[in-house]
Amino acid sequence: MKAYGIYDHQSERHGSDMLHWMQYVKGYVSIKVWGYSTERFLNLCGNHDILVWDIENHGDYYTMKVSVKGFFALKTLLKKTGTRASVLERHGLPFFVPKIRRRKIFAAGLILCLFFWLFTARYIWDIQIEGNYSLTDDILLDYLESQGIHTAMEKENVQIEKLEMQLREEYDMITWASLKIEGTTLIIQIRENEVPEYDSSGQSSLNDGEHADSPAGGKDIVAAKDGVIVYMITRKGTPEVAVGDTVEKGQLLVSGAVPVYNDDTTVRKYQYYEADADILIAYDKSLFVEKQTVYQDKEYSGREKKILLFGFQDKEWNLSAGKIPYEIYDISGEKKQVQLLDHLSLPVFYGTKYAKEYTLVEKEHTEEEMQQIMQAEWDKILQTLEEKGVQITRKNVTINKGNDKWILNIKMQLVEEAVSIVNNTTQQIPDVENEAESETEVSEE
Amino acid sequence: MIVESLKLPKDSMLGDAIVTVTGNREAFIENYKGIIEYTKESIVLQGKNCKICFQGKQLSIDYYTNEDMKIGGNIESVRYL
Repeated sequence: MKAYGIYDHQSERHGSDMLHWMQYVKGYVSIKVWGYSTERFLNLCGNHDILVWDIENHGDYYTMKVSVKGFFALKTLLKKTGTRASVLERHGLPFFVPKIRRRKIFAAGLILCLFFWLFTARYIWDIQIEGNYSLTDDILLDYLESQGIHTAMEKENVQIEKLEMQLREEYDMITWASLKIEGTTLIIQIRENEVPEYDSSGQSSLNDGEHADSPAGGKDIVAAKDGVIVYMITRKGTPEVAVGDTVEKGQLLVSGAVPVYNDDTTVRKYQYYEADADILIAYDKSLFVEKQTVYQDKEYSGREKKILLFGFQDKEWNLSAGKIPYEIYDISGEKKQVQLLDHLSLPVFYGTKYAKEYTLVEKEHTEEEMQQIMQAEWDKILQTLEEKGVQITRKNVTINKGNDKWILNIKMQLVEEAVSIVNNTTQQIPDVENEAESETEVSEE
Repeated sequence: MIVESLKLPKDSMLGDAIVTVTGNREAFIENYKGIIEYTKESIVLQGKNCKICFQGKQLSIDYYTNEDMKIGGNIESVRYL
């Protein structure tokens, strides 16, 4: 029978890690053995089932390792063979524990570290938002901040159900919200409504008709620009102008007050509505875009300085000593947050910045470049007009090429739904009923 | 022989040592009786019928028990004396 089955030929390699660990837990000593017949001593160890390992011959003495239990059993063998032994080193847990008791500060540090870890694990160190497309992270984070949700807050103060409801109530477009805490990260998952809703001041509400909370006084449509009416269909309200009329900015186009007439065509009273109409106004617009042919360009010298940085929460420090030795420079870089586990983010940042030196050089655009720049400017204007839903009915674009600057001269006629909605100010006719009655009385007399 | 005809394992019946050598780096010896000599250059073990002598450089006994032993180092020769 084998004394130590774990030392089996095949399983030796797989078992060695486990074995080391077991040896560590039980504790072992490395000893030095010298004297008359050391080989006999080794044989006796084998016969008495005392495990020794890592035996090394150093000429006149041997070193070997033996378990603590085995070491005490060695005494009789040593006497028998006339060899002597002394302990060189002690290894393992039984020796480590008393040692740690003596190293009080180390032990305290270990415990403190554990407490610190438990302590920090009670806080939220990171907020992640998923599923938001039109609502930016900043908007949501600002909102959460206003609700008292921020990093470095205690986990138990996060009221998940309440926040989910608040998010849905605050933003109409959030149709579904879910909060969960993973480690020290607060994960907010939201689903947005695919059809965005504009509020009542937005343009799309022009066709909305009556709005639930419209004021009693009704709404007027007024011109937002000087121009000529080219198209007009009124759905609700009293039209005050017609197609072909020239209007000024602020002029009343459709009144929200609809008069109710008496038999004698005098106004008896007003009924107030939210005016609703499709109105297109044509107006002239001229634009000048001036571009200098001379421009300043950054020419990098190729010299750069690396700056290590370290941050805690909102603060940031440069670790590299000294000032940046360049007169003008760009700074770029990246910052990383320290993460212990996947979801345990600490409010500590580190990163590097690069300061790149450059000099400003005066350069002149070639004619071709200038043409491209002008074309780009014109494209930009067209794009912004298109985004606003403005049509161009007539345009005249000229370019004046000067020595040091080019001028893009644009004259165009635009057609746009250039209207805005204001509150109706038409005064209700006071005491209509009474006046009408008195009038009839007079006529009877 | 009776052992062969009964197909019993030879080592346990005859008490012969089994030496397994992996490359020239390590040797694994089962069924040895004792250590006769142990230096860095040679290790001599007692078997039942003969002595086994390992010679080489930086030889060491990684571990041994009553039954088996593992020798590491640079083994140059194995001889049966």
